[in-house]
Amino acid sequence: MNAIEINHLRRIFRAQIGVFNRSIKEVFAVDDISFEVQQGELFGLLGPNGAGKTTTVKMLTTLLIPSLGSARVGGFDVVKQANEVRKRIGFIFGGERGLYWRLSGDDNLRYFASLYGVDPEVSKKRIPYLMEMVGLKGRGNERVGGYSRGMKQRLHVARTLLHDPDILFLDEPTIGLDPVGAREFRNVILDLQSQKKTILLTTHYMFEADALSDRIAIINKGSVIALDTPSGLKKHVSDLSVVEVETFGASEIVIEKLRALPFVDALSVEDRDQKQMILIQTERGAEAVPDVISALEGQRVGRVIVREPTLEDAYVRLVGGGA
Amino acid sequence: MNYSNLFKYWRTVLVVAEMSIRMQMNDAFVLFAIVFQPMIIAILALFMLQGKGADYAMFVVVGSGLTGLWSSLLFVSGNSINVERWTGTLESLVGMPTPFDVIVFGKNLANVFQSLLSMVVSYFLAALLFGYSLTLTQPLLFFVTLLLSMFAFICFGLTIAPVFVMYRSVQQWQNAMEFPVYILCGFLFPIALLPNWSTPISYLLPPYWAAIALHGTSTAVMPFEQIAFAWGMMLIFSLVDLVIASQLFKIMLYKARVDATLDVD
Amino acid sequence: MRTIRKNFRLFWQGTLLSYRALFAWLRPVTYMASKIFMPLAQMFFFVFLGTYASGKDTSDFYVIGNAIQITSISGIFGVTMSVGGDRDAGTLPYLFGTPANRFMIFFGRAFMHVIDGAIGVVIALTWGVLLMGLDLSHTDLPALGLTILITTFSTCGLGLLMGCLSLLTANVMFVNNFVYFSLLIFSGANVQISTLPVWMQIVSSILPLTRGIAASRALAAGASLTDISVLLISEIGIGLTYGFLGYFLFSWFEIQAKRKGTLETV
Repeated sequence: MNAIEINHLRRIFRAQIGVFNRSIKEVFAVDDISFEVQQGELFGLLGPNGAGKTTTVKMLTTLLIPSLGSARVGGFDVVKQANEVRKRIGFIFGGERGLYWRLSGDDNLRYFASLYGVDPEVSKKRIPYLMEMVGLKGRGNERVGGYSRGMKQRLHVARTLLHDPDILFLDEPTIGLDPVGAREFRNVILDLQSQKKTILLTTHYMFEADALSDRIAIINKGSVIALDTPSGLKKHVSDLSVVEVETFGASEIVIEKLRALPFVDALSVEDRDQKQMILIQTERGAEAVPDVISALEGQRVGRVIVREPTLEDAYVRLVGGGA
Repeated sequence: MNYSNLFKYWRTVLVVAEMSIRMQMNDAFVLFAIVFQPMIIAILALFMLQGKGADYAMFVVVGSGLTGLWSSLLFVSGNSINVERWTGTLESLVGMPTPFDVIVFGKNLANVFQSLLSMVVSYFLAALLFGYSLTLTQPLLFFVTLLLSMFAFICFGLTIAPVFVMYRSVQQWQNAMEFPVYILCGFLFPIALLPNWSTPISYLLPPYWAAIALHGTSTAVMPFEQIAFAWGMMLIFSLVDLVIASQLFKIMLYKARVDATLDVD
Repeated sequence: MRTIRKNFRLFWQGTLLSYRALFAWLRPVTYMASKIFMPLAQMFFFVFLGTYASGKDTSDFYVIGNAIQITSISGIFGVTMSVGGDRDAGTLPYLFGTPANRFMIFFGRAFMHVIDGAIGVVIALTWGVLLMGLDLSHTDLPALGLTILITTFSTCGLGLLMGCLSLLTANVMFVNNFVYFSLLIFSGANVQISTLPVWMQIVSSILPLTRGIAASRALAAGASLTDISVLLISEIGIGLTYGFLGYFLFSWFEIQAKRKGTLETV
């Protein structure tokens, strides 16, 4: 049995536009999504902001009612059998909200454990175990308001494991964490994976999805545009190389000129302080460099590197640059 | 709410209530509603009713205690669901196997329980500051009445919170609903002073029956039939409120899941 | 002359801005509910309680006392929110960064609330006449109008001081509520001040409202403007004292904030 089954799921949002001439505009936040997640699988949902990741997760966690289509989680329908689904899932929506800041970490867990119907005897043992697992041992008596952002997000993980759910939904769990915090967090996720939990992880950090996921669905504008293993996705770009060019203050015009070069397959720009990193995907590899340099004539150019494509490059190609 | 849920989830209700009290212990707003405002009303009423003799001190203690109970129900319980939305915990609570109205019941239990502080503060104020000797005329019946009143207040609060969530136009009147209930429910003066047309409204408000029975067992010797009648009214209203609340919660949660309003953003 | 005009404009802008900012989120219904209906319900509560205590023929005492007391809703809550609102909106540093006349900025914030409060009192008295049998047939109405304006003014003076204090505390609403409800006791709106303990009588004599309420009751009983002139002049004096205390606190606060560099965090 699949842990999660999604069939032609759609979600329409009605947005009111204008103050005086009120008109209702319908937007498909999720537009005909279908996929399955197997038991014990770590499934990554990848996509730019506003692609419909969170909306999908909220429908699967019974917090939103789908406009069309259906979904089953743990074998139960998310609308008709919402309560059966709720007993079997845990979920985290990234960020530090969603906890009681005036209560201690332990009390937060005690509170949520009782709402999950966990036997008090069981939760008495489970809370210290979970606090240790998420690296908050010894901090349980402190008020959550005094926790760092990373600590709060890890407390969320402990919260969601109180009733030992089989299926976990982690929506951008590492958002806003510093690199060290994010790495610790990923270790916790790997730990969960080794416990054979089914995990649906949404993120927009490519390396995170690459390192953790068994399979990845890339979603854009409400639709799944690719679904494969990380290595399978990389095959989309295996015929390509990536030329990375460091520039200083290259204008939009110059970048458009590069984009128009015949051998450029996809192009994206990352701004880093005063520098920009232009990433060009091309079949020509190192041979493309002289043409790129000449197109950049008159610009200050720094380092130029030619490398193998990563998952991020596959993503850029699929979503269509500018990411 | 399904009555059986109260028995099935009693342990959860108690944990929710305990945590709720812990969270509100140092909340200035709650403190004002359940301690300072009833205290000031008690001081005023004690000065104003001075001429009516020492018997009225107990009447003031009970009456100003009831004002604290109502204000806390109106403002704290009335906003209890919205507060969860602002802290971002509403989604977690809704996405849980425990029915949401059971959780709010627990929160209301906490509010009503801590509001008893209003009566305690007024008691000490009248006894220590004003030097009245205060005794309950029918202590046992008074405490039974108090328990039933708490239950009636909790259930009444359960119908208010979802209405405030669903109808912002009603919530705009929240401030304006505080004193009319003090008046209509006879907390500090009998409703006989009010125009006749308002009497049926009083009869429809559970706090009115609480006030009648609490005053009747603390300052007067109310015949038992009358006390029992007030108890019956409170019970009937509580059960009706639970049924109404159950429907309101269902509608509210369905609406929120359709309109995506469980979270603020 | 130009300076006067400039300062007048500042005063007026501050007035309009603060008032509009405060009620921007309010719809007419909310305004009705919180500024007309709520105060009336409170007035009725105390009038019923009062007549229960001392008989139906004493209702004028409570109607007038509580109607005048309504000024403190605008005076305390309105003014405090206008002054303290800058902190919440984060506009305080900008305000302190301008060369504008502080005095005009400061008092401009209170002006609209004086008008607003006075209107509230008139509405309350009208209901008193219509529903509670208040008799104003022997009353010098212009003098009563003047008394209402002066009382509102002096309550706003206290509001200005409270507003500045609110810049120092985190729990503005707590302090405001406390002062507002305490005025219900000390102003004599509901009790004869002479029946209060001596220390309470002293507190009462240095607060705004007390004399305004006394003057209004005297006018309702048929007194003339000259009979109550001492009360009114003292009431103005009290309002000015609180207002200036607030103003000096505001200036001191600005200096402290600039010196310590705490403008952003205050």
